Amino acid sequence: MIADAFEALASEREQLERACALLDVSPAVREFLSYAVREFKVTLPVRMDDDSIRLFHACRVHHNDARGPCAGGIRLHPQATNDRIRALAMRMTWQCATVDIPLGGAAGCVVCDPHDLSRREQERLCRGLVRRLGTNIGPRRDVPSPDIMTSSQHIMWMTDEYEAMRSEHANGVMSGKPVTLGGSASRREAPGFGLVFTLREALRLLDIKPTGTTASIQGFGAVGQNAAKMYQQIGGTVVCVACWNQFDQMAYSFYKKEGIDIDELASITNYFGEIDKDRAADLGCEVLADDAWLSQDVDILIPAAFETQIAEENVSGIRDSVKLVAEGATAAITPGAAETIGERGIFHIPDAIANAGGIVCSYFEQVQSDSNYYWSADEVLGKLDVKLTEAFHAVQHISERRKLSMREAAQVIAVDRVARACQERGWV
Amino acid sequence: MKSRKNRVETLLLSLQERAKELECFYAVQSVLSTPNITLDEICRKLIEIIPPGWQYPELCTVKVSIGGSVYQSPGFVETPWSLSADILVQNRVVGFISVYYATNPASQYGRPFLDEESRLLNMIAARIGDHLWHGLESRMLSDWTSNMAQVPDDAKCEWQLALNSLRGTNPELYQRITRKMLNYLCWSGVPEAEQLLRSAWPSRASVGESDAPDDWNRPRQRHGIAFTSYLGARVFALASDHMDCPQILQLIQMWIQEDKQSFLVQLINTNVPVSTVADIIRRYHEMSKDPSFVPVQRTRGILIAMIRRFLSEQRAYVDVAKEMMEINDFHFLLDKMIYTNESHGRLGGKSAGLYLANQIVKKKASEYPILADIKTPRTWYVTSDVLFHFVHHCDFDELIEQKYKPIQQVRMEYPCISQAFAAVTFPEDIVRGLSTALDDFGTNPIVVRSSSLLEDSIGAAFSGKYKSLFLANQGSKRHRLEALTDAVAEVYASTFSPDAIEYRADRGLLDYNEEMGIMIQEVVGTKIGKYFLPAFGGVAFGCNEFLWSPRIKREDGLLRMVPGLGTRAVDRLGDDYPVLISPGNPGIRVNVTPSDVYRYSPGMMDVINLDTASFESVDIESFVGEVDGGFELFRDVFSAYRDDTIAAISPLGMDREREKPVATFDRLITRTDFLQRIRTMMNVLEDTLGFPVDIEFASDGTDLYLLQCRPQSPAEVCAPGVIPKYLEPEQIMFTARKHISNGYVPDISHIVYVDPDSYASLPSRGAMIEVGRAISELNKLLPRRRFILMGPGRWGSRGDIKLGVSVDYSDINNTSMLIEIAFQKGQYLPELSFGTHFFQDLVEAHIRYLPLYPDDPKVVFNRVFLRESSNRFAELVPGLAHLEHVIHVIDVPEATGGLLLTVSMNADRGEAVGYVCSPRDKRK
Repeated sequence: MIADAFEALASEREQLERACALLDVSPAVREFLSYAVREFKVTLPVRMDDDSIRLFHACRVHHNDARGPCAGGIRLHPQATNDRIRALAMRMTWQCATVDIPLGGAAGCVVCDPHDLSRREQERLCRGLVRRLGTNIGPRRDVPSPDIMTSSQHIMWMTDEYEAMRSEHANGVMSGKPVTLGGSASRREAPGFGLVFTLREALRLLDIKPTGTTASIQGFGAVGQNAAKMYQQIGGTVVCVACWNQFDQMAYSFYKKEGIDIDELASITNYFGEIDKDRAADLGCEVLADDAWLSQDVDILIPAAFETQIAEENVSGIRDSVKLVAEGATAAITPGAAETIGERGIFHIPDAIANAGGIVCSYFEQVQSDSNYYWSADEVLGKLDVKLTEAFHAVQHISERRKLSMREAAQVIAVDRVARACQERGWV
Repeated sequence: MKSRKNRVETLLLSLQERAKELECFYAVQSVLSTPNITLDEICRKLIEIIPPGWQYPELCTVKVSIGGSVYQSPGFVETPWSLSADILVQNRVVGFISVYYATNPASQYGRPFLDEESRLLNMIAARIGDHLWHGLESRMLSDWTSNMAQVPDDAKCEWQLALNSLRGTNPELYQRITRKMLNYLCWSGVPEAEQLLRSAWPSRASVGESDAPDDWNRPRQRHGIAFTSYLGARVFALASDHMDCPQILQLIQMWIQEDKQSFLVQLINTNVPVSTVADIIRRYHEMSKDPSFVPVQRTRGILIAMIRRFLSEQRAYVDVAKEMMEINDFHFLLDKMIYTNESHGRLGGKSAGLYLANQIVKKKASEYPILADIKTPRTWYVTSDVLFHFVHHCDFDELIEQKYKPIQQVRMEYPCISQAFAAVTFPEDIVRGLSTALDDFGTNPIVVRSSSLLEDSIGAAFSGKYKSLFLANQGSKRHRLEALTDAVAEVYASTFSPDAIEYRADRGLLDYNEEMGIMIQEVVGTKIGKYFLPAFGGVAFGCNEFLWSPRIKREDGLLRMVPGLGTRAVDRLGDDYPVLISPGNPGIRVNVTPSDVYRYSPGMMDVINLDTASFESVDIESFVGEVDGGFELFRDVFSAYRDDTIAAISPLGMDREREKPVATFDRLITRTDFLQRIRTMMNVLEDTLGFPVDIEFASDGTDLYLLQCRPQSPAEVCAPGVIPKYLEPEQIMFTARKHISNGYVPDISHIVYVDPDSYASLPSRGAMIEVGRAISELNKLLPRRRFILMGPGRWGSRGDIKLGVSVDYSDINNTSMLIEIAFQKGQYLPELSFGTHFFQDLVEAHIRYLPLYPDDPKVVFNRVFLRESSNRFAELVPGLAHLEHVIHVIDVPEATGGLLLTVSMNADRGEAVGYVCSPRDKRK
């Protein structure tokens, strides 16, 4: 594994520093929070299909578990770096704390390229990892979930190995399992619906009735599509949707002044959120350029596709009619653009809460699996609504009281919660 | 009233007699058709079964005399009341059969025998004669052999009796055998035989003595051997002095067989039309049904002549085919051939390739039982010269010159030719042939495929140059026949298409006549609802030219598979993907994450819609919903994609609300012997033919079918590049020696080089993302397929972008080549991606991939050229000019004084080189 002082960790520490400065946190706490509480490095000998043995290196970082068991992704990647994993674990700590779920942050990786491994070899690798990590993971210690190039199949192999080691059912040890084997209902819908729960609260705060508002959405995958459906349910009208077109290798925006029927549009969309361009035109949509979604005369913008989609160079394209931007994709808005948005008086729901539906649902999965009692889809969404509504108002409250942007407030509230937990436990 | 009653009784009696006669004739037929029956047995049975067929069986006796042997009914007495018929073989009387009444019956007709009885006896005699003509000699020899086994050793020279019998029945054959025996004795060095030959051929001595060089230019006089009874007796007396009886018998047996099969010699004459060949082969086939039939040595030359005439003149082909085929195979082949009366045509490359592959698979099945059930679909062949007959018949003779016209003119005229071909009628004999083929196919869908003679040439695969048309083959016979003739005309028209003519011109094949055979093949598949389709189809390559992991080797091969008709696996579609499998390493799949597996799986499938009688591409998800799982091997071909998980489909069916079908072939690979069968077949074909092959295959859910087999002839970009022997050091830009696939990428005008060190030292992630954006800009600006991308680590890195430039496929889709550079970092050598982030896109777009390891002391990496040549980046992408120290855009002609870059990769040698040289056109 490369010892690489990559900027991700430096960037996380910088954000921590800023939050700590605002919170007047003691230097000891500040320093403690900038490091992981535990790091495991393991070496995995794996028997390959040709009967040879190959060594793999893996690591798992527990950034902080003061508020509860650690949780976070585990990736299979050929060139993951230590600091990258540390940064991911730290980010996870803040994400859980922002939405006030009782989990700490962790991340992990196995240095490998799954493209070069057969299915059986991958299975042996996953099981080997769990055996090496041993009791350092578990429903009350560390709950790994899928990340880059890990799928629910990998998670299931790891869960099974853990249960075999313990000689008991303990599928709360992992989240991201197949729905049929302990995964949570509504996992696909949670990020999009969660986004609209926070959007609804923001509109209420701004004293705007959803009915009569219009929105433009970038991305029509799981997040964008479900957000659009829920937004339509609360009375809003989606007039523009942008998405990728694999065949043309470019994105398009689909615009319909009187409003797009989302179910109709979904019926001509593939699993990856790519809308059939010709059939959309048949439905009365104007097919516009890829970035046209940003410059529509709408009340709400929802970037729910990729990172850095609203940046310094295009932020000026946002029309004056826009009152609210909900950051549906992680880091969809660059810090500079977020600043401009704030200056123009546009309300910004940061990704830490607008995009937190997935993390909360992952926590719900762990709770359900650990108690071996599974909720209905409505129950999951109801609980998600409560959690995100509370999180939104808590962040907004700090934002208003401390005159911080919503993004800064989300970071500050998270650091505050973790720092206090550490102090209350008497750690620092 | 009484007279009416009499008439009825007479009629009844007459009918009874006819019934008896028919019974008798059937009984004779039955006896003559009995396998392995001897002549002795035949005669004994005849005297039993003939009397009941006569009006007065109780008075009837029979006498049969053949070749001196006489058989007669018990209590036989010659009387005046008799009927007799001669038994003729080749118009020579070899015996007779007689019927006698012991007393004169009081016949109501006033005569002892009826006219019908007389005709019956003649028919029986003729039938016996025919039977003797087809098998007399061999049957006799067989009898002799069996009798000889029972004869005591000291009495075994009884063969002379048999020879005497032959002298009586077929004196010409007797003479030929005598001559052969004389020659044989001479060759064996029997001095008396030599003397005998001289006496039978008086001039031989003088010829032998005057065999001087000065006589070489003087024609010899014609002399024949004077055959006498004495000579015959002397020859065989000599034979018995120098050989034992079994040896003589064996020789006689062999010569008789040779003599019987002598008519086959006509087949060597290539001027004999196909129809005559068919007659000769049919006769040989009938003859070979006889259990005593022994194919003789001479048929080997005839077999080779037939292979060369109908299948291929290529020596490599003939060498293999002669070991895998027998003359009789041509009987079945000719039976399925459609030709005109004067046709001299052949089958064409595609047909010949498939036919030989099928023969190899059948023959090798005894050694590799796993091949036993591999089939080929029912196929009919239209011979290659029918195209010319068709052109002539339609008065389009001037089209022969079409290929020499300017290509623009060819392009303009092609639609008219196509239309004109569709409007004309076929010669009558071809329509008749096609009609017979349709009767054979019934209403099974068929595909009309071109089978060009030029396809025979290695390196000219003609893939996609000529048409292959699927026909639903539904409706009335007339309608089906019209559709078939239209399809054949359309395939013929494609011979004159600009694409085909350009392709032939490029390969120097323009001056060769393009004779186009046609293969009409039953489509493999089953009916599912209104559709007809195979469970899956695909193409397999002996060599994998697209290695997606360093663990995969070229010789592991490659499968491209799709559900439904294999057309989508054969062609590269751009908007859809076949499933790629390495048969030698099936565990290493191109796509790993469930979402990638789903995205890069086939979205559409080709089927035949029987309702609309059309070839259609249908959406797989809709299709699965429509047919409701009624798909053979459904669970073997498809998996279920649900919640970002790929799992086996439940035996109870799919949950269509939550699950999507995704073609993975997982169960087919892991739970059946399919992969082993394909791999064994590919290995056997490669070992036997001596070169890697590509095959097309399909399965109807029950059986695996081989549809096509030809030498693997990669597209130019995937062909093994020639590594030039002599290159000046300054010509070489880079070399490589690890994980090389085949490829030849000439005439590169621009190199985009992302310097690994400068990239690694970029200050922020944002700057690295900008590099990706800059590459995307260059991808739009630089000439398509004339530039290459060289960069550090993993192109398209999705995680830590420090390890490779973060791009999507759309950012690099115009490049001709993607090069990943792995510089050693301390003790660590970075793993390269092998293009895995968009591997299937690269494959479908023919974009080549090459990994470079510049720290290897045995390779060249001209970093000075790449870093210090004039950099046009800032000029092309002024908005990102600050990245100029990272991204170098080198205009190769400008930097080298007019040269271009060529990258040549040769997997066989495990070498690749990028060098500058003159443009390809100038070199020509």
